[in-house]
Amino acid sequence: MILVPVTYKGGIYRHDEIIDLIEDLGGYIIQKHMIAQEVVLQALVPKDDIELIRKVGKPLTGELTLSPLVGTEIAVVTPSLEIHHLPHASCDIAEYIRRFGAKTNMVGLARGFGKRIAQLNDEERDVINEHDLAVYLLGDFETCIEKKFPVLRRGIVVPIVLCGGPPTDALKAIIDPPVDGYVGSIGRFMHRTKESEEISRLDDVVEEITRVLDKKREEMAKDPLSISPARLMDIISEKIDEIHEVLSPTPITVQMGGLRVKLPYDTFGPVLRKTEIDEGVTVGDLAEVFPSRMRDYILIRIKPFSETNLVI
Amino acid sequence: MEAVEYFEVECPEKAGGDYYRRIADVVLLDHNLIRVVLKLHIFIDPKVPLFVAGGVTRKLPGIIRLRDFADLNIQERKVTISIGNEAYLAPLLQILWKKYGKDNVEQPDRFTIILYLDEDESRSLEDLPVFDPSESIYKDLIYALQVIQPEGFKVRRQYYGNGRFYLVASEDTLPEDIEDIVRQKFSLMGESL
Repeated sequence: MILVPVTYKGGIYRHDEIIDLIEDLGGYIIQKHMIAQEVVLQALVPKDDIELIRKVGKPLTGELTLSPLVGTEIAVVTPSLEIHHLPHASCDIAEYIRRFGAKTNMVGLARGFGKRIAQLNDEERDVINEHDLAVYLLGDFETCIEKKFPVLRRGIVVPIVLCGGPPTDALKAIIDPPVDGYVGSIGRFMHRTKESEEISRLDDVVEEITRVLDKKREEMAKDPLSISPARLMDIISEKIDEIHEVLSPTPITVQMGGLRVKLPYDTFGPVLRKTEIDEGVTVGDLAEVFPSRMRDYILIRIKPFSETNLVI
Repeated sequence: MEAVEYFEVECPEKAGGDYYRRIADVVLLDHNLIRVVLKLHIFIDPKVPLFVAGGVTRKLPGIIRLRDFADLNIQERKVTISIGNEAYLAPLLQILWKKYGKDNVEQPDRFTIILYLDEDESRSLEDLPVFDPSESIYKDLIYALQVIQPEGFKVRRQYYGNGRFYLVASEDTLPEDIEDIVRQKFSLMGESL
């Protein structure tokens, strides 16, 4: 069964029927937003049943759209969280990616500004590496990007999409070794992105991220995960009651190869490892449970089939 | 930037210069400073790196004196000040407290201040300079230039006064001939520092 990431938007009235339908079909609800009278569901649903969900949702004024980024966690990295980059550029991009289903976290570096003085510390490096992909938003000058980017990428192992003011070709020419994606002509700016030309730049960013993540998915498909992250999320929320007391919008964040569970590691790490998935198989058998560098959260990395010889 | 008579961004990287032109435009507009600036020249060289912004302001509003925003009623030694515009009350109180001491400045309600002064003193009170708006406009202008400049340029020198202002900034120590560079940029605008 192939699961496809989708977003469902509809009225609050009878929306539980849609949730039940998706779950009965074998799909997973990743995130549910209630905004006034509207419900937005981000879900993974079986490819063959998309039409069925559309049909059931139609009388409820529900709308189903494909969202390629559902189930991914993306870091939006800016040189700092000062007025030079906020709110426009950084927030506009982070927010726009979110519309396509991704969970974005903004990472403002402590000393990422400047050309010669830019630095990346170990905490920032580890936090960025906990994501599926990092989007770097740099400035307008080629000279600066060329000089500072090698420092800012040091130790980063996740795919990088680089955004900057110079045209895409110029960015490609100055970055060595190459990164996974480039989007040019979107550097530092101080105004809100409203014009159609600017919105199309944001679309380019989403397109590039989708392309890079599709490539990563293809790589991962060669050695599939022992359990799908969405399924593991379902099991954890069923078996660990305390997760329902967490107030964060996504108490369990789904990533492409794992999960971020927003419970303290010291208390719940051992509990999680021993949680049973199927008869005789525990989370600890199929995945590694680490403390996250983000607050005191737990990070779960699901092992591939080649390591466990199990697929559930 | 139609309101500005001269506005240039000079930069060896053309694309970067164009972006900074837009940034400068937006920042000055957001900070309500576009009407204040008459001429502005920005020079950015990311290779050095160096940022120079210099310009000329329009005629700024003059010093606000006591009589501009308050009425004075003098009866022998008793001076009653009725405040018309509360915006300048705080700086006025600071000045009066400093001059006569807090114990001697009575304020029965928000808009009234009572003092007991000699005749000479009360006569000159009307012309008391309370607030200099140009000071805060220049400070706002320098702040806006700091927002415009590329981030991370922590070594800065600034100057304002006499209708002129400039801000130079860099990541490294500023070159020794920096004032010559600034003068040269002013001459491009047809002005002298």
